[in-house]
Amino acid sequence: MAVLLRRGAPYLVLVLAAAAILFPFLWMILTSLKPETEIVRFPPKLFPDHFTLESYKNIWNRIPFLTLFKNSVIFSVGVTVVSLVFDSMAAFAFARLRFPGKDKAFVLILVALMIPVQVTMIPLFLMLNDWGWIDTFLGLMVPRATNAFGIFMLRQFFIGLPKELDESARMDGCSELRLYARIIIPLAKPAIASLAIFHLMYNWNDLMWPLIITTSKEMRTIPAGLALFMGQHVVEYGVLTAGVTISIAPLVIAFLCAQTYFVQGIAFTGLKE
Amino acid sequence: MISLKRRKFTPDRQTRAAIWFLLPSMVTLCLFVFWPIVDSFWLSFRHWNLMEAGREFIGFNNYRVLMQDERFWNSVYNTVYYTFGTVPLCIVASLGLALLCNAALRGLSVFKAIYFLPVITSFAVISIVWGFLMDPDIGLLTYYLNKIGLNMPDMLRSTTWAMPAVILVAIWKNVGFNLVILLAGLQGIPVSLYEAAKLDGANAFQRFWSVTLPSLRHTLLFVVIISVISSFQVFDQVYVMTRGGPLNTTETIVYYIYHQGFELLDMGYASSMAWLLFMVVFLITIVQLRLFRFDQTD
Amino acid sequence: MIRTMSKTRKPWIAALALLLLVSTLLAACNNKGKSDEEVTLTFWNGFTGPDRPAYEAMVNEFMKAHPKIKIEMDIQPWDTLLAKLPTSLVSGKGPDIAAFNASLIPQYAKAGNILPLEDLYSSKDIDQSVLPPSLVKQMQFDGKFFGAPANFATLMMYYNKDLFKAAGLDPEKPPATWDEWKDAILKTTKSEGSDKQYGLVIGDHATIPNWPILIWGGGGDITSADGKSSLLADSKTIAAVKFWSDLVINDGISPVNLTGAEADKLFLSSKAAMSVTGPWMTPGFTAAGLNYAVAPIPVGPGGPVTLADSVALVGGKNTKHKEAVFEFMKFWNSKEQQITLSVQSGFPPARTDLANDPGLKKNAFAAQFATVANDARFYLGGQEQASKIDNDLFIPAIQTITNKKGSVEDVLKDADKKLNDLLQGK
Repeated sequence: MAVLLRRGAPYLVLVLAAAAILFPFLWMILTSLKPETEIVRFPPKLFPDHFTLESYKNIWNRIPFLTLFKNSVIFSVGVTVVSLVFDSMAAFAFARLRFPGKDKAFVLILVALMIPVQVTMIPLFLMLNDWGWIDTFLGLMVPRATNAFGIFMLRQFFIGLPKELDESARMDGCSELRLYARIIIPLAKPAIASLAIFHLMYNWNDLMWPLIITTSKEMRTIPAGLALFMGQHVVEYGVLTAGVTISIAPLVIAFLCAQTYFVQGIAFTGLKE
Repeated sequence: MISLKRRKFTPDRQTRAAIWFLLPSMVTLCLFVFWPIVDSFWLSFRHWNLMEAGREFIGFNNYRVLMQDERFWNSVYNTVYYTFGTVPLCIVASLGLALLCNAALRGLSVFKAIYFLPVITSFAVISIVWGFLMDPDIGLLTYYLNKIGLNMPDMLRSTTWAMPAVILVAIWKNVGFNLVILLAGLQGIPVSLYEAAKLDGANAFQRFWSVTLPSLRHTLLFVVIISVISSFQVFDQVYVMTRGGPLNTTETIVYYIYHQGFELLDMGYASSMAWLLFMVVFLITIVQLRLFRFDQTD
Repeated sequence: MIRTMSKTRKPWIAALALLLLVSTLLAACNNKGKSDEEVTLTFWNGFTGPDRPAYEAMVNEFMKAHPKIKIEMDIQPWDTLLAKLPTSLVSGKGPDIAAFNASLIPQYAKAGNILPLEDLYSSKDIDQSVLPPSLVKQMQFDGKFFGAPANFATLMMYYNKDLFKAAGLDPEKPPATWDEWKDAILKTTKSEGSDKQYGLVIGDHATIPNWPILIWGGGGDITSADGKSSLLADSKTIAAVKFWSDLVINDGISPVNLTGAEADKLFLSSKAAMSVTGPWMTPGFTAAGLNYAVAPIPVGPGGPVTLADSVALVGGKNTKHKEAVFEFMKFWNSKEQQITLSVQSGFPPARTDLANDPGLKKNAFAAQFATVANDARFYLGGQEQASKIDNDLFIPAIQTITNKKGSVEDVLKDADKKLNDLLQGK
């Protein structure tokens, strides 16, 4: 009995926490399946009296979903891939290489995180405007090609890997590039997979940046499309919840795919050393 | 310092490699992050109305006005309140869940995916959902809690409870974020270490204290620093949930920056606020780095 | 082994990088050259929400009627639009046409970022004599025209007929005076117990302004008619705020610190009997099957009054196609388009000569909202610092009072002093 309790208690906590987190989503999905007449009313109900897919049909008809989806994929996947490469390279230098001025340079990376985007947005916009990069994928993606957060995060993981790895590799005449690509990166898979998801999610959901940088509807991403259902005075709750449900689905799938990488890493491969 | 000097004598292979490894990110950061930051510093000494082309130099005037701006100090208070409300709770909760997840043999990926759901959902939507659930009159949650005799206060509309409500939702949203990072850290701890500890007869708590925590130090440091920095910059939550109200009780520094910069168009003043904020966050971060003895890279 | 691997890998990376570069360059060059005669106008607006199709349809109509003018609409939330519009205009770029709330005209006009539209009005392309008088003033800065109306809204009192019936009120005879209003509000308010109900929901922030209407109804005002001094401490203003804040605080007729969206939700779920809001709510309330009607706002001691709100079309100062811009504004304001727009959106037309037009009758609500057009006033009309006055002075003052953090007199006198300082540029 006691054993059962000790085994079961962690699961109980996990399940309770999961329920607390899932509940609002359950509400959201069920709301997207309600007819508009049932969404705002008293007494409130969780389940719809009449299930309908009206909101989903509606969203398909009212915004160019495929274009938005395509742009979101190009933007967020592109940024994620490039940024992972650049971030991990810089993080590798900060964590595993010795060079003069390293600590100062690293503090500079932290500084980049501390200025709120609200004040750098306009100077940046003006600069891209001068360059003629507004409304292009170039303008949308290049400024995001690296990310101080990503550098910081990966550095913290790389630094935790045993130093002996480098020493033995270097002793074998291994180049720095090979050390980076062949030893450190594979060992940091869980961290890289996490960062990939963060980048993906951050750019997928970002509303402000794509809206500031693009001006034509051919360039817009999904959040900008969903914002069209939030009017100045009226929010169309049914269509909006349906849209959100569709738009987070790819991220959930991406997350589940990345799971396989989350569990690998030094915990297993490290033993082989 | 001393070690720095010593290194200078050997401009070795590693330094050359470092230059190449750092080059792409440094170029990008300099152009698109540092330059706008420098620009905003320059702007903080100017009068710049977004509507006008001129940017008159006014010395420390923005900063002087800032010192006497009651609403700014109110926003500082609210930001500190928010930070102390979210960061410790969120980190403890996510560390706890991460440990449980890590120990759980089954269903790990399902739990992790569930906890991560709020992270991948935008705040605009989250605020609408919670607005429907917490509404004091027609909210689903309020309705059922009332039925079982629990009276929910008028959360978002109350000058007392609005900030706790924002904090609660922020924790709900961010637990999954920290959890994923901490789990990645936990899974990076070699199993052999635990096995060795077990052989030494260490119990679960001792293993946590002597194996998990030290091994997780770098990850934990990262989570703490990032949480503090981002909660000092909290904006979205407040913008979509309360618009800084009621009576400015949830107005945070960045929300006030936004209000001055984009609603009243006084970008010069907004920039001076951003720089004051920066200096505070910078000091806090340095202290944190020292506390965690960041210079020691094992 | 290692060597060969890294060697074979390098061309790969190079090819990938080249591909990326080429594709981004191609994307950048995608803006093909336009044919000589065709004019393309960029039009930034924030017409999101359910009325977006109505505006899109009108733009398509325009392009059909003017094959040589192409309109490229950029629809985005008002927040982002307003964040980048000033900078874009100042830096010599920005759209040919923009739409934003008419209360912003003074800011843009004073800085010289938008086109003067005097010619458009003097040539009678837009006839100012058919615009509601308050709207004419709102399109101007310093007596000169800078905006053309994109839409015009008036506010009315929505009431729930079922709740009226339940409270023993005649649903066909909505209150017409403040006395009747107070009576109806108190009868429909249930502030005790678990089944709460509100007589009149009054939004105080993030809402279409409600409190100013109540102050005007009592004969008070926020500023003097010339906009140069404060009337917040005027005895009529104080009396009106006292009257309503008393009902809110002591009788619980409305929750405090309410946003517009929350007020709408309360009315939508039959938790509120009355609500003062604009024509944009009719489609949603009707779709929800609510048994409701609209009526003019009951008349107080200050006479009949309601709030007017308008989105204006403005020309960007950098446009190279002034004629086309004018043509667009003229088309937008034409009788036919105004009727179509009204019928589709439920907004009253931005012209007074259409009130009896049979076409307008297709949307009963649009016709009703048009009947109060002549009593409609703009909140802080013509004030260059309207947003600052509202956000930093008026809303906090009202909330301080309704949250019982200060007495009506003290708070309004304090706000009065601050407002006078602001208006005199201190």
